[in-house]
Amino acid sequence: MLHFPAWKVFLIVAALVWGVVMALPNFVNTDSVPFVAHKGVNLGLDLQGGVYLMMEIDPDEVVGNRLEVYAGDVASDLRALRPRLPHRVNPQARTLTVNLLGDDVEANMTRALESIRKLNTPVAGAIGGSRSYEVTQSGRDRILITVPSTSEEAMMKDALGKTMTIVRRRVDPDGVSEVSITPQGNNRIILEAPGEADPERLKDILSRDGKMTFNMVDLSPSALAQANAGVVKPGYRLLSSFDQGDMLVKNIPELVGSDIATASQGFDEGNRPQINFRLNSNGSKKFARTTANNSGKFFGIVLDDVVMSAPRINEPIYGGNVRITGNFEMEEAQDLAAIIAAGEMPAKVEFLQERTVGPSLGEDSIRAGTTASLIGLALVAIFMILAYGLLGGFAVTSLAVNIVLILGALSGLGATLTLPGIAGIILTIGMAVDANVLVFERIREEQHAGRSPMTAVQAGYERALSTILDANITTFIAATVLFLLGSGPVKGFAVTLAIGIVTSVFTAFVFTRWLTSMWMKGFKPKKLAI
Amino acid sequence: MLLKYWPAKTNVSFMKLRLPAALVSFVLLLASVATLATQGLNLGVDFAGGSVIEVAASETVTVQAVRDELAPLGLNETVTDATGTGTDSETVIIIKFGSVDPAMIASELEGVPEHKQEERAQQEANDLVRAELQESFPEIVIRSSEAVGPKVSGELFKAGITALGVSLILMMVYIWFRFEWQFSIGSVAALGHDVLLTMGMFSFLQLEFNLTTIAALLTIIGYSMNDTVVVFDRVREEKRKYKKMPDRQVVDLALNGTLSRTLLTSGTTLLALLAIFFLGGPVLQGMSFALIWGVIIGTYSSVFIASSIVLLLGMDLNKKPAEDVSGFQGVGG
Repeated sequence: MLHFPAWKVFLIVAALVWGVVMALPNFVNTDSVPFVAHKGVNLGLDLQGGVYLMMEIDPDEVVGNRLEVYAGDVASDLRALRPRLPHRVNPQARTLTVNLLGDDVEANMTRALESIRKLNTPVAGAIGGSRSYEVTQSGRDRILITVPSTSEEAMMKDALGKTMTIVRRRVDPDGVSEVSITPQGNNRIILEAPGEADPERLKDILSRDGKMTFNMVDLSPSALAQANAGVVKPGYRLLSSFDQGDMLVKNIPELVGSDIATASQGFDEGNRPQINFRLNSNGSKKFARTTANNSGKFFGIVLDDVVMSAPRINEPIYGGNVRITGNFEMEEAQDLAAIIAAGEMPAKVEFLQERTVGPSLGEDSIRAGTTASLIGLALVAIFMILAYGLLGGFAVTSLAVNIVLILGALSGLGATLTLPGIAGIILTIGMAVDANVLVFERIREEQHAGRSPMTAVQAGYERALSTILDANITTFIAATVLFLLGSGPVKGFAVTLAIGIVTSVFTAFVFTRWLTSMWMKGFKPKKLAI
Repeated sequence: MLLKYWPAKTNVSFMKLRLPAALVSFVLLLASVATLATQGLNLGVDFAGGSVIEVAASETVTVQAVRDELAPLGLNETVTDATGTGTDSETVIIIKFGSVDPAMIASELEGVPEHKQEERAQQEANDLVRAELQESFPEIVIRSSEAVGPKVSGELFKAGITALGVSLILMMVYIWFRFEWQFSIGSVAALGHDVLLTMGMFSFLQLEFNLTTIAALLTIIGYSMNDTVVVFDRVREEKRKYKKMPDRQVVDLALNGTLSRTLLTSGTTLLALLAIFFLGGPVLQGMSFALIWGVIIGTYSSVFIASSIVLLLGMDLNKKPAEDVSGFQGVGG
């Protein structure tokens, strides 16, 4: 137990050097130093401040939206059938019903089913050709269309992926901040935005549908007055506008969100914030046609059923550059540009949990945590040296190494240090000496039984090993469960606890033993003073 | 050094005390169940749903002023003064309210579909209070805020309790595998004892029981197990050494053999925990309190509860051929 061949010494030293190299950036700026890590421990939101948001998309809404699109396709295909096929398409929450009307229902049924099934796409990524929709005949004249569970799963996966992309584009349009967006389960997204202090702004940006359309507007006072009196011009609807009161907007849009390529915030001639956007080639063509045909009229840029701007068309516009001017605040214009550029959400997100920590609280926590760790470490060190003298000193040295290794491992693994995680480190400080204590107590017993120091130390380590392993494996089990079932800061605690267990067994059992063996070989003590 | 003065061989008859200890534990367990049944746990917002907003301001903002400003919102909030927990001398005020019923803020929820109102209510109320605070007291700084809707809080609580149950079972299996079934029952009974007494303490003092408390409970389980395993290892060893010795003496021998280690480890752990309790700031205070209490209870239970149960159930370590631990020897080198 006390003999260390060269390769073991090498491994021990290598582990120490690795720990120091990994932990270094936590103490000094290593940006200009080659061959060492440059990034310290990631601080959790509770330490560096920021916003945590948990949001959910509603499966009913995702399925409903998809069914609605399918309903549109089905309706237009059935309308196009010749000879004509009288029918009514009726979308409900999770089923789509098609009723066949008129006389020749039996013959029409076959044609209708064929036409609807042709539209039925295979489930993305599914094996065995399962289809997105289940189309069944119900009764003599009715077709029921539902979404089977495999297809719903695929739809949710698709919607979650799309939503995550849109969330990222809206929150971090320039891709520069350290926002983390992670899925949870099949319908939840967790957003962590370090440094952000305003959860309301994030919620505002994310709760928008982001549905953008260009519709013709009718600004004639007479039509508006009639609409206000309750008689809305057919084919039009009344929408509120950003800064000009209600407006009559044509139902069928000229351009839709998918015609937009990019959007960004810019400035107008008076240096006021505006939103610029570029249409893609398809959108540009449509826009050129619309502007050419409607000279002198007004068109509205409508975002989530609010007319953002309604400029007059003076001449045909080619090239696809459009802008929205208005009385925007700088931040408002930036957020709107991000929303337009990100595109439309597949379903509205609902917020389930919000946690915000301001930067000052984070700083306080770091300071308190650091003070507590240092004082705790000092107390334990004094205690150990008082109790065991020189061997206690070895244990304290290995404790210091332990902390460096924990920090190194946390930095190297890219783990996140949270406030409970700091508590985990302090707890490890207290518990790490346990392995040493177990060994030292054994040594003490052996020495009392009349063994020489060398054999006493040897036997002490041998006999304490299985106890140390048993004891630490059980704590490791608790840490693993905590990691798997915990969330947020608690996960951080579990990670530091688990890392602490591994490093403390290593430092107590291997590193202290090595120190002890070097000392015993060098000094050959007649009696151990413990 | 100083440990020289600690006797190398103590001779305390722990098992003589097992009946009084069992009585004490029984009374404490009854008391815990009683307080849990009558007072219940003071669940934190992460488990019960609700909001907590912590603000810092200069002395001009008083708790009363905040109360007056928020009262018209009708959220039944409690406003407390937590000055002294923040940096320097600024005033810290904590505003807390439970799950918000959609009817309480009906005007904010206009147009929200009914099945979404319940979740939305909490978030809207939180935003409302934040906005109100920032508007009425411009000098205020929001240090932290948390809003947990009913869906998540239910799940978090379930996940927390599941975590406790799963780790208890895993440990039971591990101990069974390494020792005998009697040991596995003894150790898990001791762990259950620790968890129940800690929850009882939290209920009795009405301390906030939240996700961090669950983390603390799991750590207590790990720690108490650690202690128990050390004693059991020694029991097994002594039993093999003194095959003819009555079980009671064997257990006493093992407990005495590990006594100095038990006290030393508890001592260092408590020192570290006391440092967090007094210096770690308010967020860690609840957690470190649970841990301190757990270390004390855990140490007691591994000496008295776990060992007495093993004694009660009887050991049959001799029947099997000695199961050597040499399987682990290679690891240490």
